[in-house]
Amino acid sequence: MSKRRVLGLFDGFDAAFAAINDIKAGNVSGVALDDVEVLSPIEHPDIDEVLEHRKSHVPKFTLLGALFGMTFGFLFLASAQANFLVQPQGGKPVIPLPSNIVLTYEMLILFGVIFTLIAFLTTARLLRKRNPLYSERITIDQVGVEITLDESNLAGLKENFAKHGVLEVREGTL
Amino acid sequence: MQTKDINENLPWAQINKDVMRSMMNPRMAYWVAIIVCIAMISCAVAAEIYQYNVGMGTANLNWPHMWDLYIATFIFWIGMSHSGTLLSAILHIIHADWRKPIYRFAEAMTTFSLMTAGLFPVIHLGRMWNMYWVLPYYSDRGIWPNFRSPLVWDAFAITTYLTSSALFLFIGMIPDLAVCRDNTTGWRRKLYTILSLGWRGDDRQWRNFRRTYLLMACFLIPLAVSVHSIVSSDFAVSIMPGWHVTTFPPYFVAGALYSGCAAIITLFICLRYFFRLEDYMTIPILVKTAKLTFAIAMVWTYLNLIEFASIWYGHNAVDKELLIAKFTGPYSPYFWLMLFIGSVVPFTLAFEKLRTHLPTMLVVSLVLNLGMWLERWMIVTPTLSLGYHPFAFDVMWPSMVQWAIVFGSFGWFGLLFLIFVKVFPCVSMYEVKEMCYHRKRATLGIGHGEHAGGGAAGAVPASKSDLERS
Amino acid sequence: MSLENILKDWSKYRRGHEEGGHHDYEHMWGMAIDLDKCTGCNACSVACYAENNLAVVGEEKFSKGQAMHWLRIERYWDEPDLGENRVNEYQIHGASFLPMNCQQCNAATCEPVCPVAATYHTPDGLNAQVYNRCIGSRYCSNNCPYRLRYFNFFSYYEDSWPEPLQMQLNPDISVRDKGVMEKCTFCVQRIRKAKDDAAREQRDVLDGDIKTACQQSCATQAIVFGDLLDEDSVVSKVWKKHEVALGKASQNKANPDKRGYRVLEGLNTDPCIMFLERVREV
Repeated sequence: MSKRRVLGLFDGFDAAFAAINDIKAGNVSGVALDDVEVLSPIEHPDIDEVLEHRKSHVPKFTLLGALFGMTFGFLFLASAQANFLVQPQGGKPVIPLPSNIVLTYEMLILFGVIFTLIAFLTTARLLRKRNPLYSERITIDQVGVEITLDESNLAGLKENFAKHGVLEVREGTL
Repeated sequence: MQTKDINENLPWAQINKDVMRSMMNPRMAYWVAIIVCIAMISCAVAAEIYQYNVGMGTANLNWPHMWDLYIATFIFWIGMSHSGTLLSAILHIIHADWRKPIYRFAEAMTTFSLMTAGLFPVIHLGRMWNMYWVLPYYSDRGIWPNFRSPLVWDAFAITTYLTSSALFLFIGMIPDLAVCRDNTTGWRRKLYTILSLGWRGDDRQWRNFRRTYLLMACFLIPLAVSVHSIVSSDFAVSIMPGWHVTTFPPYFVAGALYSGCAAIITLFICLRYFFRLEDYMTIPILVKTAKLTFAIAMVWTYLNLIEFASIWYGHNAVDKELLIAKFTGPYSPYFWLMLFIGSVVPFTLAFEKLRTHLPTMLVVSLVLNLGMWLERWMIVTPTLSLGYHPFAFDVMWPSMVQWAIVFGSFGWFGLLFLIFVKVFPCVSMYEVKEMCYHRKRATLGIGHGEHAGGGAAGAVPASKSDLERS
Repeated sequence: MSLENILKDWSKYRRGHEEGGHHDYEHMWGMAIDLDKCTGCNACSVACYAENNLAVVGEEKFSKGQAMHWLRIERYWDEPDLGENRVNEYQIHGASFLPMNCQQCNAATCEPVCPVAATYHTPDGLNAQVYNRCIGSRYCSNNCPYRLRYFNFFSYYEDSWPEPLQMQLNPDISVRDKGVMEKCTFCVQRIRKAKDDAAREQRDVLDGDIKTACQQSCATQAIVFGDLLDEDSVVSKVWKKHEVALGKASQNKANPDKRGYRVLEGLNTDPCIMFLERVREV
C-alpha cells in the first residue's frame, strides 16, 4: 500500500487546529499526531500545545559551540603566544590574561553563532530539495496541514478536512 | 491623531503587497540617489589613490597627530552600527513588539555601517597592502599578530560582529525571502529561491527558527557591548591623558546607541516618505524611538559630566590641563558644539509636538549624528595635540584628502543601503503579521497576551477570519 | 606540542616585567646624559642624521611636523616672559636643553599596542623596530608619552639625497620607504658590529667598544653609553652614583649632588636613559 502526502489549506489557525484536534482525538483512522505538520505564514504561540511540544535541538549546539569557541580560542591564543617569544611585551607576561580574555570572549560568541547557524540549517531541514507539496497562499495568510498517510485512509481524512472548512486539498506522493 | 502602533486590521495580503511594492520599480529619484552616492564614492577613491601613491602626509597627518579623522570616522560608523542589532535584539528579548516594523532596516544599517567602518582602519594604514598581517594565520616563520594590541582586538571584534549581525539579519529575513520567492518572477525569483534556503513555513522550521533567532539575539547583546568597549580600548588601554579613561567603554557604548538611534530615525522618516510605508512606520513607533533616543542622550550627558568631574577631582595635572584645553583651546568651538548638540538638542525630543513633526525630527536626527561625529573627533585629536610631553604640543587641521574620504564613506553607506532596500524587504512582513495577530487577540481579550500585554489568560485559538469579522 | 609547551613553562610565561620577565637579558644598553654639560649645539642630532640615514625633509615639511629627527634637542625657557627687559624678538637668557632620543623603555608603552609585533624587546634590552614588519598603524607613536617615534609620511628618500649625496648613505642600515615607523635604535648597527667583533675574538663586549653616533659627536662629552648589567661600566657607575635604577620610579631630590632622573618616571615606563640635572620644583 503506498504512502501519500496530503496538504489541506485552511483560512486561519482556528480551523486548522480544530482539524488537528480531531486527529489527536483519534477521529481519523490511520492518522496519528506524529504524521501531522503545520505550514503557516507566522509562528502561532499555541502551536506547541496543539502539536504537543515537539523539541528543538538548536540550544544544545549553541552551548557546544560556545564551549568549543572558549576553549579553542584561549588555547589557540596561548599556544601562539608561547611559540612567539619575540613578540612585543611592554613589560607584560608572554601570556597576558586580560587581553586573552577579551579575545576568548569574542571567539566564544563567534563559534556560538556559527554552531547555532549550522544547527538551524540541519535541524530545520533547510538547504534540501523543497517538498513540492506547497501552496503560495501559505506565505500570505493561509494555514496548511500536511499529513502523511496510507492511501486507504485518504477518504476519512478528506472528510475531516471538509468538516473544518478546508479551502483546498492538494495531494502528492512521498 | 493615530494612537496605535499599527492598524491591527491590515489584511495580510495587503502587508505582502505593500512591502513587495517598495522593492519593485525604482523611480527616477532612486537612480538619482544612486548616482549621487557613486559620485561621492568617486571623490573618496580619487583621494585614496592620491594618498596611496604619495603617502600619508597628504592627509595632513604629522608628528604628533598620527591619527585623525580616519579613526574618528571609524568610531562613528562602528557606533552607528550598534543600534540596529542591539536594539533589535534587546527589544526582541523583552517582547517589545513595536520593533517589528522597523528592525529590518535598522539591522541592515548595522551591517552596512560596519562594512563602511571596516574600510577606515585599512585606509589609515601606512602600508595597507600588508593589512592581512593583523589576522592570526599560520606562518612558517612563526610570526603571529600581537594579541595584546587593541587593534588586533578590533580586528577580532569587527569580524565577529560583522559575521553575527549579517547572519542575524539574514536568518530573520528567511521567511520573508520565501514570500518574495512566491511573488516574483525572473532573476529575483531565482535569487530568492536560493536565499530562502527552501523555506516552506512548516512547524519544524518555525520551531527551530524561533529558537535560533532568540539565541542569536542573546549572543548579539553582549557582543555589541563588547565590540564598542573594544573600540574604546584603542584609547582606554593607552597611556595618554584624555584617552586613558576608565569610563570610556560605557561612554562609547552610550554614544554608539545614541548615534545609532538618531540614524534609525533618519532612515525611518526617509523610508516612510519615499516608500509610502505610513501604515507600518507609524508616528507612535517614531515617538517610542524618539523617547529611547532621548533617554540614551541623557545617559551620554551623564557619562560626559562624570568624566569631567572625575578628571577635575582626580587632580592629575596632565589630565586636567587637557580638559581645560578642550574647553578653551583651539578645538574648543567644536567641543562646545558637540556638547550643545549632544546634550541640549535632544530636549526637542521631549516635546510631543516636535517629536511627531517629521521634518523637525529629520533635521534633529541628522544634527544629532553630526554631534556624535564631532564627539569622536574631539576624543581623537585634542589628546594628540596635548599629550605628556610639552615639546610635542601642536595643533593640526585635516586636509582635503581626509575630508574627501570621510565624505565618500557616506556615499558608500548610502549606496549599500539603497541597493538593499530594492533587493530585500525593508519591513519584516511575517513579523508585522505576527504583531497584528497578537495585538488583535489582545484587543479581543483572548490568547496569552504575552506579546502585547494585557489580554486574558487562556489558549483559545482564534481564526483570522473571526478576528476580522469582529 | 604547543599545549605541552604552555603547560610546561606556564609560570615562566606568566612572569611580567616586575618579576623579571621571561627574558634573561644578555645586555641592558643604557645611557646617561648630563644636561649641565649640554650646550644645545645639535651636533648629536646631525651625527644621528648621518649615521642612521635619516631623511632631510625640507623646510615646508619640517614646519608641518613631518620631520624625522630621531634625536632632537628640545629648548625650554626658564623665564617665559621677560617683559620690559626684552631686548629683541627672541629671548637671550634662560634656555635649557633636553636631548631626546628613544628612551628604550623596559616597560615600553609602544610595544603592546603594535598589532603586528613590529616593535619588540630584544634580549639586549633594546626596544627594536622591525621596518619590514611595520604596517604603519601609528598606534605606537600615539602611545609614546615622549612622542619619540617618527613616521615616514612620504617617500622621503626620493629627494632627500640628490645625486651624488646618496653615496653618503650608511650601508649598515636600510633606507626606509613611506608608511613605516622609525625611531632611535641606540645605533644598533654599531652594537651588532661590536658584538660580532667580540665573538670573533672570543671575548665579552667591553665597555667603550660601542660608541653611539651622538655620543661620539658630543663636544662636551655629555652622553655616556654602555651596558647597565656590567657593574664596572661607566654608565652603570653614573647611574649608581646618582641613585637611579631600573624599576625604581622616584629619586631622593633633597641631596643636591644626586642629580639623576628619568623623564616621566611616574608613568612606570622604566626608561634606560638617565638625565643629570637638578630637578627644581618651580
